[in-house]
Amino acid sequence: MKGEIIIEINGLTKRYGEVTALDSVSFSVEEGEIFGLLGPNGAGKTTLMEILCGLRRFDEGRVTVRGFDLMKDAYKIRSLIGFCTQETLLYDLLSVRENFAFSASLYSLDHKKFKERVEFSTKVLGVEEFLNRRVQQLSGGMKRRANLAAAIIHDPPIVILDEPTVGFDPAIKREFWDLIKNLKGTDKTVLLSTHDMYEADEVCDRVAIMEKGKIAALDKPRVLKETIGGVASIRVRVKANQTKQALAVLKEYNGTQREDDEIQIVAKDPWKTMTEVSNKLASKGILTEKIEIVEPTLEDVFIKLSGRKLSGDSQ
Amino acid sequence: MNSIIGIAVKDIKVFFREKGTIFWTIAFPILIMLLFTAIFGREIPFNANVGVVDYDHTPVTASIMTGLNSTGVFTVRNFTDNPIKAREELNATTVRAVITIPKNFTQNLYFQNASVSLVVDETNPDVARLCRDGIKTYFSEYYKAFYYQIYGINYTTPITVNEEKPVMGQAIGYKEYIVPGMLCYPLLFSSMVVATGAIVYEREKGTLKKIRASPARPLNVLFGKTLAALFQTAVSILIMALLAYFLLAPTLNWNISLLVPIMFLGSINGIALGLIISCVGRAPQEASNAATTIAIVLQFFIGMYFPAEYLPTYLQQIGSIIPMTYAAQAIRSVMIRTAALNELFQPILTLVISAVILYVVGVLLYKRWVEKE
Repeated sequence: MKGEIIIEINGLTKRYGEVTALDSVSFSVEEGEIFGLLGPNGAGKTTLMEILCGLRRFDEGRVTVRGFDLMKDAYKIRSLIGFCTQETLLYDLLSVRENFAFSASLYSLDHKKFKERVEFSTKVLGVEEFLNRRVQQLSGGMKRRANLAAAIIHDPPIVILDEPTVGFDPAIKREFWDLIKNLKGTDKTVLLSTHDMYEADEVCDRVAIMEKGKIAALDKPRVLKETIGGVASIRVRVKANQTKQALAVLKEYNGTQREDDEIQIVAKDPWKTMTEVSNKLASKGILTEKIEIVEPTLEDVFIKLSGRKLSGDSQ
Repeated sequence: MNSIIGIAVKDIKVFFREKGTIFWTIAFPILIMLLFTAIFGREIPFNANVGVVDYDHTPVTASIMTGLNSTGVFTVRNFTDNPIKAREELNATTVRAVITIPKNFTQNLYFQNASVSLVVDETNPDVARLCRDGIKTYFSEYYKAFYYQIYGINYTTPITVNEEKPVMGQAIGYKEYIVPGMLCYPLLFSSMVVATGAIVYEREKGTLKKIRASPARPLNVLFGKTLAALFQTAVSILIMALLAYFLLAPTLNWNISLLVPIMFLGSINGIALGLIISCVGRAPQEASNAATTIAIVLQFFIGMYFPAEYLPTYLQQIGSIIPMTYAAQAIRSVMIRTAALNELFQPILTLVISAVILYVVGVLLYKRWVEKE
């Protein structure tokens, strides 16, 4: 049922020799939400996902999925998860439909259910046009769509996506995120990992920011930005010869400062402040060329938490 | 669809769509059979040049040379005028043996103490043995005929060796020996190599991750791979058997009801070995190379081309622990000796036991390897 906890992770620890990949990680994912794991390479996102899918063992902690313990009921849990990796795990020499049939066989899907699921894929994931083409003949975007469709051919309640848009061009990225949003509409719980803070902000209901195998922060993107990312600011650009005059007019606002040819004002209520600023400048005969609100991003949250940029780490 | 069938169907489809694989699956047995047909498909499998230096110059020695030439096994070249040339050609291996008939040979023949000298080219032990045995047998037979002609009675030796009737009422040629051996070829080069490749392929493609993340149990994965490998082995065996039947036309007993289960058991052993190799090899390429190398080595141990007795004792002992040796033995017993099921108890039991042991080891190694991955 929506809102109930579907994945629960407590004190999960995984070591590779001397290296601790996951250090006592704890969090839970609610049914029907899109949950994002954010962090740089080596933060432990993939390890965590692979543990959930039964591909890796762990050293300490407890993981339950729909109440099943991963240590005892790994095979039951596997049937509840559709795992879509960064790589396209399809057989080039088989058609998309044949790849679906193979994936369905791994989950012992009967013929009727298989037909229904192929129909679902053609409607929701838009694979109809290339269903009978061999994978080797498909474009990158088509392959990604087919890969996702094959990963969820068994209609799992949970979809795990590991860096699903790495290497995509912007148009395909947009298309892919639309597909993920469509999945949310079908009551799937989505757990995804990404480097891309802007995408996570747009798509995820909640995000966990991971750093060096630990959860550094976890909440809704809006809350994280408000509580950790700092307050919003207004950026104003006026005619070059009026910048000094504008600074004098706006000095009553806290944190007003010049940044190159722009003026930045810290604002707790940015929409109200923007209107005031605009009116004040106009009343003094100062011509405003540009005025905008700059909200804190998840990138700012990550910088505050780790002291370094995440975007530079992106592949 | 069940995961075992799903994996098998997927592998068979991929097999039929990889043009290179399908080409070599068909071409390989054809090439091998054509080669063996060319070598063993003739009536006379052996012919060597033999030099003769005749110092006696009698009608008897002339008839000896004519008779030797007419055997078809030897082509006689007369070096009586130039014995040095005979030695030179022997050194150059253009003649494989030189027979020197001394003066008074014919006269001594009447007194039963005639002798000739023989020098054989030893650079090829098989050819040397065939020449030595062939020439000695010829002179022995010649003397028997000569004795009968002079004394009117058969020459008798102290012990009579009565040769029994050959199996199936006729002599077994080398092609009758080699065809059952050739049918073992796919047990190594299809079963074992294909099974190794099946897991290696999934590793290389990364698709093993997809299989492992699914609820399909390791045993189901291995059974699916086994079914696909069995299919490919069956294709190879069928092609080889048809080619052998029509090209070499050997006089053999093609008892399908016995041959199919024996080959099935042999294939299962080969597949299980292949699965073990694929789990032991660290890198995919390493596993593939290991399987091919082991298959090439094993073919000499299991008596495919020549009897195991040709091997040194310690190598025979190694051969005796290889399951395919028993498959080859059972296939030969059926095809050459027309053995019945009750006569095949020992090799079949060995194949069943080894198949179970190797398969269990394969499953355990696969599970351990998957966990380590």
